[in-house]
Amino acid sequence: MNYLLTTLTKKQEVDSMIRDTIDKVLVLCFGRASDSIFLQLDEILYKSVREVSKFATVALVDIDSDDVQVYVKYFDITLIPSTVFFFNAHHMKMDCGSADHTKWVGTFLRKQDFLDVVEAIYRGAMKGKLIVTCPLPPDRIPKFHLLYEDV
Amino acid sequence: MPIQNPNPNKKKKKHSNQDDDEDDTVQGKQQTQFEFCKVCRLNHNQGRRHIYFPNHKKALSSFLYRFQSKFKNDVAFYLKKPMPLRPEHAALNRLWCVFCDFDILEYDSSFACGNAIAHLASAEHLKGLKSFLWKYGGGMDRMDSFRISESDFTKWEKKCKLLKSEAAGGGSHGSLIGPLNDIHNESKSEYVNSFDKNKLDCLTSDVKCSNSVVPLQDHTIERSQISHSKICTVGPQILHAGTGVGLGARTPNGLPGFFGNQHYTHSVPKEGPAYSCPNDGKQVYPYEGIAIGDGHSQGTSSEESRLQSLQNLTQISSSAQENGGGNVHSGAPPPWFSAAEKIQLDNKLNQGLGDLVSSLGEQMKTSKLNPKRVGAAWAERRKIELELEKRGELVRHDFGADWLPNFGRVWQSGSRKDSRKEFLGENKTWRKVDSQIEKPSQLQPYISKRMRTENTAE
Repeated sequence: MNYLLTTLTKKQEVDSMIRDTIDKVLVLCFGRASDSIFLQLDEILYKSVREVSKFATVALVDIDSDDVQVYVKYFDITLIPSTVFFFNAHHMKMDCGSADHTKWVGTFLRKQDFLDVVEAIYRGAMKGKLIVTCPLPPDRIPKFHLLYEDV
Repeated sequence: MPIQNPNPNKKKKKHSNQDDDEDDTVQGKQQTQFEFCKVCRLNHNQGRRHIYFPNHKKALSSFLYRFQSKFKNDVAFYLKKPMPLRPEHAALNRLWCVFCDFDILEYDSSFACGNAIAHLASAEHLKGLKSFLWKYGGGMDRMDSFRISESDFTKWEKKCKLLKSEAAGGGSHGSLIGPLNDIHNESKSEYVNSFDKNKLDCLTSDVKCSNSVVPLQDHTIERSQISHSKICTVGPQILHAGTGVGLGARTPNGLPGFFGNQHYTHSVPKEGPAYSCPNDGKQVYPYEGIAIGDGHSQGTSSEESRLQSLQNLTQISSSAQENGGGNVHSGAPPPWFSAAEKIQLDNKLNQGLGDLVSSLGEQMKTSKLNPKRVGAAWAERRKIELELEKRGELVRHDFGADWLPNFGRVWQSGSRKDSRKEFLGENKTWRKVDSQIEKPSQLQPYISKRMRTENTAE
């Protein structure tokens, strides 16, 4: 597990992370360490952490821990890995062409994709926008189906 | 004879006809004759018509604009503020006079753009300018923007002389804290006399120093560092005092960024006012010890001639510079911080570092960040809280276990606060369900239908 980034397992840790990241994008990735896609995501994040360090912080959240189940439900995380973006404790949405704008589902195909996404979020947040459009072309965005719609 | 008279007339007439023909042909020749237009860089056979063509007019305006910008940036600046010219920068300081078609070099001028200014004020340049404007149709009213009037030139010369004399009279004594003129007037004679003595010492010590490393003489280094570093920030004055410590004071020959005139012009105007008259009167004029600092490295002819002309090598006395300037040894901040920053630094040192550094930093940051950014108000509050926590004034209180961030849910229709409330409501029911069913806590890649329908039903 050395190759993973800082993994948070408690709600309090997540809380403090969200609250203490000021004027920087907080990238919270929910997933499970045994999942290969999550590991792939972690690999990409690990390579990019330093480069975005001036305007973003990255953290992983282990969804298997009980403490964070609240967040799992609150953020409606059903597919893993899921990445949620925050800025100044406000949740940032991104329109990637899929049905779910609140999070990024899946991994990034390339490191540059991740950087582009984070940059887009940062730029939008600095302008005061809570929702931004995804800078990636549709073929780079992992597709998934949102299984259930509101009844 | 009378017979002849009509003949000449006829001849004349004929001649005139011929002349007309010739004129036509000459004109025709003129029309077909090619000239080179310097402005458009084009060979044309349009003769005088060419200058009225729109293409030519465009080319001319950009051509003149380019020259004018060089003129304004470099020459006009130095016209207002004469500064001495260093030999390394002389190569960069040349100007091509487009009107007279020649290159103005600065190798032998002692002031920046000295030769250029002299040329631009001269009568020959005026002549060249007039002919250029006539030939290329620039508009004679713009003449003054391409030349230096005589009054400006004389002013500039006066300033240069002042500078020279100050440099010669330069150095500073502890007793002399005040504006330029006082130093210049009162004690020049003293300086001149003492410098001769000092000069010999310096030179001899230089000779000794040139090959071996000599233990540093503290005073001179302090002086030179303070003196030159203060001046370093003022544009191209990078001639520093290296008195007596040939090697030791081989302080950086100018700050690395100072190459090229453009840099001077951009950087200096901002700091200019701050440095035009340092308050503490520790003005060290930049001509000291040129030979000493650089003599043994590059003995160019210009330097030697400068040496000879100046002769008044000054020695900065030790007492002058210690009037509160501080130095590296005392831990003072380096003088290349701007004056404003220095004042701030001083304040910090006086009042205690931690608080002010952080608050300053924060002030700087917040002033730059967009106040409309997402969560700005929250961020400001949070920063204050964190600062208070650091200072220990505010005890960190754990936010309730129920704190949830601002989140917009997927299928949410109202505002984000609603989503939180919704969730909290759901949560309560969930906790009840949780105690009964254990499996849901383990997340599968997707939640089974049963859980989902239970969730949405509530």
